[in-house]
Amino acid sequence: MADKPVYEEASIDGQPPKLASIPASDTTVWADASPLLQAACAGLRDGELIHGDNFNLFAAMSALEIMDPKMDSGIVCTYYSIDEAIENGAAPIPISLDSTIDVRCTIDIMDHLLACEAAWHKGHSLAQTVFSCIYLLRLDRTAPHALLHSYCRIIRATCKAVVSVVSDARTHEEEDLFTMTYGLPLNGDGDDKCLSILNAVEETISRQLRACKATSSKRRLPEDLEPLQSNSNLEEGFCKALLCRLRFRKHFFHVLSCMKRPQGRGLESARKHIASCLTELESILESADFLRSCFDESCEGDIDDKTTASGFEPIGFDAMLNSRLSAPTPPRAIKILSWKKAVEYFVKLLHDLDVICSYSLDPHLESLLRFVVQFQKSQPDLVARSHLQLLLVQDGKLYGRDPFFAVINKAAALPEATKNHDIQKNESFLQLGMLVMNLLKILCTNAAWQRRKLGKFLQDWRVIYVQLELAFRNEYGEVSSSSNDENTCMKIFQHILLWVEEQTYWIAFRFLILGFELELYSTGEYCMVYWYLYAVLIKLTEKTHLMMAVSHDTAKRKGKKKKDSSKDLARESRIPPAVLFLQCYICLAEGLTMMLAALRNEIPVFHSPSPFNTEHEKFVQHFELLQRACIPDHVSYPSYKESTTHARFSTLAMYNYFKDAQRIAKEVKSSFSNDPERAFSTLFSRLGGRWGRNVPFGWIHFSSYLK
Amino acid sequence: MEVKPEEKAEIEEPEIEYVSYGGEHHLPLIMNLVDQELSEPYSIFTYRYFVYLWPQLSFLAFHKGKCVGTVVCKMGEHRNTFRGYIAMLVVIKPYRGRGIATELVTRSIRMMMESGCEEVTLEAEVTNKGALALYGRLGFIRAKRLFHYYLNGVDAFRLKLLFPPPRQVL
Repeated sequence: MADKPVYEEASIDGQPPKLASIPASDTTVWADASPLLQAACAGLRDGELIHGDNFNLFAAMSALEIMDPKMDSGIVCTYYSIDEAIENGAAPIPISLDSTIDVRCTIDIMDHLLACEAAWHKGHSLAQTVFSCIYLLRLDRTAPHALLHSYCRIIRATCKAVVSVVSDARTHEEEDLFTMTYGLPLNGDGDDKCLSILNAVEETISRQLRACKATSSKRRLPEDLEPLQSNSNLEEGFCKALLCRLRFRKHFFHVLSCMKRPQGRGLESARKHIASCLTELESILESADFLRSCFDESCEGDIDDKTTASGFEPIGFDAMLNSRLSAPTPPRAIKILSWKKAVEYFVKLLHDLDVICSYSLDPHLESLLRFVVQFQKSQPDLVARSHLQLLLVQDGKLYGRDPFFAVINKAAALPEATKNHDIQKNESFLQLGMLVMNLLKILCTNAAWQRRKLGKFLQDWRVIYVQLELAFRNEYGEVSSSSNDENTCMKIFQHILLWVEEQTYWIAFRFLILGFELELYSTGEYCMVYWYLYAVLIKLTEKTHLMMAVSHDTAKRKGKKKKDSSKDLARESRIPPAVLFLQCYICLAEGLTMMLAALRNEIPVFHSPSPFNTEHEKFVQHFELLQRACIPDHVSYPSYKESTTHARFSTLAMYNYFKDAQRIAKEVKSSFSNDPERAFSTLFSRLGGRWGRNVPFGWIHFSSYLK
Repeated sequence: MEVKPEEKAEIEEPEIEYVSYGGEHHLPLIMNLVDQELSEPYSIFTYRYFVYLWPQLSFLAFHKGKCVGTVVCKMGEHRNTFRGYIAMLVVIKPYRGRGIATELVTRSIRMMMESGCEEVTLEAEVTNKGALALYGRLGFIRAKRLFHYYLNGVDAFRLKLLFPPPRQVL
């Protein structure tokens, strides 16, 4: 399925069928099966089932009930085919002979298409959303209607571009409905000219707008131009409503084109188009008042639920026509987003894309990882995340620019010179490059999927560490070599081994923290989770500290001696801010563990055993993937119990955890003055979820209340 | 006095009768309950699959002859573990909040345990606070979050209960 070409020409109906039946051909004949079915019904009693070699009860579950619209996708609801729908006037061209109504209806179609597009992005199939538009399914027949034609073309080209991006990212995760385009006419001849076609229409309407303004100020008409529609009072409003919609589509298409350019070359241009998109979306929202009030008839129902700005139902849409073309499961009626929600979705999408476009393509892996983690906090949707992933990983390189060995080289604090060393051709180093690449891809997926992948990923990182260590020992044993190149190789191994460990613990930390974000832990499990976090943080801090020490050595050896040597010494003995930051986390994790353990130990209501298993089983389940990869070593349920069994409120040390955390945080704050993300205020919220800010201070108050 | 469906039914705890699936005569009762409360369109074959192959895992709750709740389950080998699966759990609205669902599930899980299952699993909407609390109390953890699992875009948790290893026979 993955290899099937995504773009196929529509061949939905070979020939137009008779309206009421499917005709027999040369090789087929119709036979009435009713008597057979009747006899079959009489032949089996309730509860009986025919046993067949390849038909058992499990298979029977997939049975469809014919004529049940929820299960029978062949059932004809309104029209048998697109042609029949068109013949019956479901998608008239022009939409109305009254030009004013025609324009309003065109705008309704544009709005509904936007709502469909948002619904598609949010996880429904293209066939049931954007391509429920009959005009889009038979785009060529819209040619006489310039406005509709140009709009449909650009929609089609935009959808194709978006499908392409998401397909290339190849991490559809659970959203594989998104790229299903079987049988849909996504490829159009001449769609590459869609922008110029749109520009021509935009130009005409701009002139019509100028003309109607000139008329109203009683100036001479600049040219003999036909107005957009026949009601001169509404001309300005309609022109403006159309222009912002057309311009939004134009700029959005440009955003996609610019972002597609390799190595992030189009990011700055993309930002300009994003800003234009946002401006046009504002105008689109503002046009709603005019569109709702321009006709005497008011529409029924809650305006907020409507898929159009005017509130009227759009003409030319039928979601059931594609029922044979949508996802393999029986089609269920889906709810298209409201027009308001659709605009909100696009505003968010554009903001997320803007964040991506503003990124500086930092060659330091550590900064990149922080950026991706931060970006994910705003819960970007699939389209935004796919764009990020394609920016980060192109042609097997970071940003399509930096080979992954060079990236690892820098991250492992090796000198610049070693980034081209032949050792990178070694199998283990090649695999390590792949792991880093896959890590970046995984970090761009949705949080739920991401956590599952990260958990399994730990095993791969452990394995690569063991492989590298083995290769290192085989080459160099315990003896320090004399040759220069061998020294360099040894150094590469040593740095990278250390870096791999640090990275592994970072992944473990992310895995645990994501559990909070995904609400996978119930409050009764917080104690063991914070304890495990504490254990992982200890190792992460140790490795980070070692990594920084080693990087300092490298800097020294490069001869970056500062003039002021006494300052240099002071800096050497100080703990680096990044490590202090982690130590702060350690204090928080330990403090929370002890506090929660004390609560469990001293207040019976917090300790509620379940009838079928114990805390041990929960521990095993939550940390199975970490335990399997021995991250960290010597951590087990008995050691957890040992650490927490004796926790009591009376233990004074508990106060110190949080006081220590505060003290360190203050020290760290000044070091990260140019990096507000690391500020003190984010620390608590990152570790504790709803426990975060209030608990450390709250429990001191609480425990004194208990005495 | 007639009890309207919206009002809470007046019952004494011992008045609820729990019965193991007993045959075809129970099937329409189960189907009616599930069709009423859950949105998935199950064909009769789906119900038959569960109750024919694992009749001992399905239970019904009766109050004064009326069926007010049911649980439908299965068990089998899944990637080298023998695992139970809770497919459907329904208690009609007037009878909720009395532990009937907990009792139904508990009976089924006990049967799974006795049959040698190593673990039990099910999916529940992340917004279904009632179900999450019920299963949480029984020892289930939230093993995974499934993004947009349901058609309405709601995520699901995969809940899993791991039984302790069987005790050594002394």
